[in-house]
Amino acid sequence: MEVAHYLKPKTLKEAYDALLQSPRNVLLAGGLWLKRSTPSVETLIDLDELGLDKIEDEGDYVKIGAMTTLRQLELDPLIKNLQEGLIVKAISQIVGVAFRNSATIGGSVAGRYSFSDILTPLLVLDAKLVFYPKEEMSLQDFLNLKGKLNSILTHIVIKKTRGLSFFKKVKITAIDFPILNVAISEENKKVKIAVGSRPAVSALAQRAAKLVNNASEITDAICKEASQIAVEELIFNSSVTASEEYRKLLAKTYIYRGLKEVLK
Amino acid sequence: MKVSFILNGKPLTVDVAPGEYLVDTLRNNHVLSVKKACNESSCGACSVLVDDKVILSCSYLTQRVEGKKVLTVEGIQKEADELSDYFSDQGADQCGFCNTGLALTIHALRKELKNPTDEDIKNFVVANLCRCTGYQAQFLAIKNYLEAKK
Repeated sequence: MEVAHYLKPKTLKEAYDALLQSPRNVLLAGGLWLKRSTPSVETLIDLDELGLDKIEDEGDYVKIGAMTTLRQLELDPLIKNLQEGLIVKAISQIVGVAFRNSATIGGSVAGRYSFSDILTPLLVLDAKLVFYPKEEMSLQDFLNLKGKLNSILTHIVIKKTRGLSFFKKVKITAIDFPILNVAISEENKKVKIAVGSRPAVSALAQRAAKLVNNASEITDAICKEASQIAVEELIFNSSVTASEEYRKLLAKTYIYRGLKEVLK
Repeated sequence: MKVSFILNGKPLTVDVAPGEYLVDTLRNNHVLSVKKACNESSCGACSVLVDDKVILSCSYLTQRVEGKKVLTVEGIQKEADELSDYFSDQGADQCGFCNTGLALTIHALRKELKNPTDEDIKNFVVANLCRCTGYQAQFLAIKNYLEAKK
């Protein structure tokens, strides 16, 4: 990556002003994907020293600083207790410890990577995003936005939930990108279902969840029907790693198994 | 741009380009034990420790080590020598290219995990790739080493 200037701002305002100066100025979080995806930048704005690397207990919510590393999250007691450790289940399968000591949750979210193993669980946890200078939106709304981000993601806020959860990443080798991933969260027998790397970016299967959540009794047939609805309502495609047909089969199978697991 | 840090216990100041990665800075300064292989944060050969945490130096900007401690295999010479005996016992050594990164990862594992299970060990070193040996011999060597060090 060619970098003409490097800047390590001490305040968010300084970082934000620098970001607005040129469309070729880029924010640096963990920098792992940035290096592979960006041949050159004008000013690299390093968010490392803005104190955004904390996980805070806010009563009913957990507030995660955007520069918190994946490894920090994986080891944090609050995160381990959140929805049966759903985030930990997903993160612990991302490359290795050295990678996760640098990769940040903010970088993973802000990049809206289609192969992300983090967006899928965050969607079913109904994560809220906080941006500088002044904006809040749900992760779901954020994933529908297009174009370059002209504000700075500072925090990810998640409601403390204690239901059951399911996460499945289908991959070829242990440290590979996903062919597909599925996350399901459950609270009081109500579920949320998300599927990522289809290969498009993670999305909620809302009709499938609605079927389960409106059912008077959860039966095997309901779980089967919901998994079928999910593959009909979401868009799947082929890529070098897997065909559309195979992805649909995987999604259907793991949504069914996941529903059985969290609704047992 | 000048960057000052502590390399294996000794202060060092280097002059680096704005987008320079730590692996290049170290190798430009004759620390050739740090290997540059995949150069896209996948293989683990460039692993070093920054402030006691193992990171991939191919994807870590040198600017970020300002004022921090960097540890390469030269800083754990005695430990690495001992570890290599366990590796040769299992026939887990061939070309040796990945060994320095792996030794540093094992150093970090020992600091972070108390009484790791087999699964814990495998999960910790899973992203240090070796193209010669297959992983079972390495795993047994690491396990025996950790057992002896208890």
